[in-house]
Amino acid sequence: MPAFRLALHFIRRDIRNRYLGSFSGGLWALAQPLIQLAVYGFVFVYVFNAKVPGANAPGYVPFLALGLWPWVAFSEGITRATTVIQDNAPLINKVAMPRQVLVFAAVASSFLVHGVGFCAITLALRAFGVPLDLLALPIALTGLVQLFLLALGLAFMCAAVQVFVRDLAPALPQLLMLWMFASPIFYARESLPLRYQHWLDFNPFAYYPEQFRALLLHSGVFSLRAEVLALLLAALALAFGLTVFRRLNPHFEDFL
Amino acid sequence: MSATAVLAETRGLGKSYPLVFRSRDRLRALWHLLAGRGHADSVAVLKDVNICVRRGESLGLIGENGAGKSTLLKLLTGVLTPSSGSVTVNARVGALLELGAGFHPEYSGRDNIALAAALYGLDATEARAKLPEIIEFADIGRYIDEPVKHYSSGMVVRLGFAIVAALKPDLLITDEVLAVGDEAFQKKCVRWIEDYLEAGGTLILVSHSMYHVQKLCRQACWIKHGEIAASGDVYSVTQAYQAYQESKSAAAAPDRRELLAQNPEFHLLDFSLNESGAAPLVLAQGATLRARARVQSRDGRVPVVVFGIVRADGTPVYGVSSEMDGVQPQRESGDVYVAEIVFPEVALLPGAYVVKAHPLDPEAIRLFDTLERALTVSGQSREFGLVRLRHEWAAAELPAQKLAVS
Repeated sequence: MPAFRLALHFIRRDIRNRYLGSFSGGLWALAQPLIQLAVYGFVFVYVFNAKVPGANAPGYVPFLALGLWPWVAFSEGITRATTVIQDNAPLINKVAMPRQVLVFAAVASSFLVHGVGFCAITLALRAFGVPLDLLALPIALTGLVQLFLLALGLAFMCAAVQVFVRDLAPALPQLLMLWMFASPIFYARESLPLRYQHWLDFNPFAYYPEQFRALLLHSGVFSLRAEVLALLLAALALAFGLTVFRRLNPHFEDFL
Repeated sequence: MSATAVLAETRGLGKSYPLVFRSRDRLRALWHLLAGRGHADSVAVLKDVNICVRRGESLGLIGENGAGKSTLLKLLTGVLTPSSGSVTVNARVGALLELGAGFHPEYSGRDNIALAAALYGLDATEARAKLPEIIEFADIGRYIDEPVKHYSSGMVVRLGFAIVAALKPDLLITDEVLAVGDEAFQKKCVRWIEDYLEAGGTLILVSHSMYHVQKLCRQACWIKHGEIAASGDVYSVTQAYQAYQESKSAAAAPDRRELLAQNPEFHLLDFSLNESGAAPLVLAQGATLRARARVQSRDGRVPVVVFGIVRADGTPVYGVSSEMDGVQPQRESGDVYVAEIVFPEVALLPGAYVVKAHPLDPEAIRLFDTLERALTVSGQSREFGLVRLRHEWAAAELPAQKLAVS
């Protein structure tokens, strides 16, 4: 339990830290992806004339929103966690503590902030008349928890490796950008040429926007097989990430 | 828990650091560690250290810079992982390792107190309950709400010590931090540690101040080049350490060949304390000290000989010349003269000293040569200063039964 208490402390500190010194405080959490949504929405709807394929397809903006928020939580969580060990070197070098807590807190605070944003945008879109299925929101949130486990696994791995190889942190944004465009966030699987569509099955993130859209927008089908696979993959990533972290953990202080 | 429960123990403890120079080494190290092998190249800083601290004990760790004392403390607190051997700690540890250890410079003192409490395992309610006590002990006024980066080093130590004091750990581990605060705060800390020890607390202290070690600790452990050189009673260990320090500075003394090549009017042939030759002398407190110097006179004139005693840090204690006392060195043979002085029941307090001998010309004006010998006075006196002055108390004696207890 002390580790959990410590994690809570760091999560609180991290969330407070984000908005410390900014005028609008916690509003930024919602504002940042909202601005992103507005920009992407404008570019894709008005410039590229993007449409979600299919007959009674949903509007592009709610389609994009359900993919964008999970991605922001996911990518931001990993990015923040990657340097968290390095950034807290003064603490780690002087105080005995379970270092996993730092990684956990970094990812958890991202998911908390953007999870709230995800709920808020869903409710807002519903209020504007988008036919979102609010009853499915709790199920979508469990999906977000599952995504959190996947992010946590990758974050453990990245945070541990970053201590040894400092090239990871600067390379990560580029890799994540590539990953973002390789995921069905801005486009639907059906928009891809047929022969490339199944490639998305190798992308562990692809499952999440598709599932959220199936649940909340009834766009596409909720696949139980995909759900089981994704859960398995998230658990595997977490186990692997933790193993790497545990193995490297005793040697952090020698390389910080 | 029984009174003699072991709170901290190390067995065959060793720590080595990897040798990392280039980025490529880091990558290689990562690969080695992931594969479950050890480091390819490493340098050992601590070897086969066995210590055992029981409840209520107080252990002082002494040694030169870089001997591995701080590494040992970090291993004990769990900040570092041992490369070999094991560390067992069965206590809630309060550690005060380095200046500002564990503080985040951007956060206020209050926030850092909360963090320290969380790291120690307190929940928010317990932490809030401790807050007034910590703020009062630290006594840094409005700075408690300022970021720690604006603190002076003294304030950082005050806050750090106040937190540890409020947590009342089973085992207090502290590094050379007392040296930073001002005198009033140092006294407050020493008094707090004394009260803590009296109440059954356990202490592991690293200090370069033999005074603090002797005042606060009953056991001591001397770490030399990563290994335990001596351990046991605080007085015998600190005295052995001081004697070692002395012999090291004696070895670093300037070469005499240069002086002798100039063929001075007078020079020392040898100088010994209690017939111990050039070796450092360990003398029990209150024993008799005999210093003997042989002087070669170039022109056959009778020299004046000065003997002086200084403390290891250079503070003069006493000096006297043959001319002052109206005596002359005795002629041994030819142009060799011998001066010998006896200090019966020498009044020096335990500690490290240097005895010096100088030949002067017969007019006692020019000084020609210097030889030094290390002297360690051993004993368990807790008096302060350099020498025991004759004194009497105009006070009542302690009651008889209380004397029997102590």
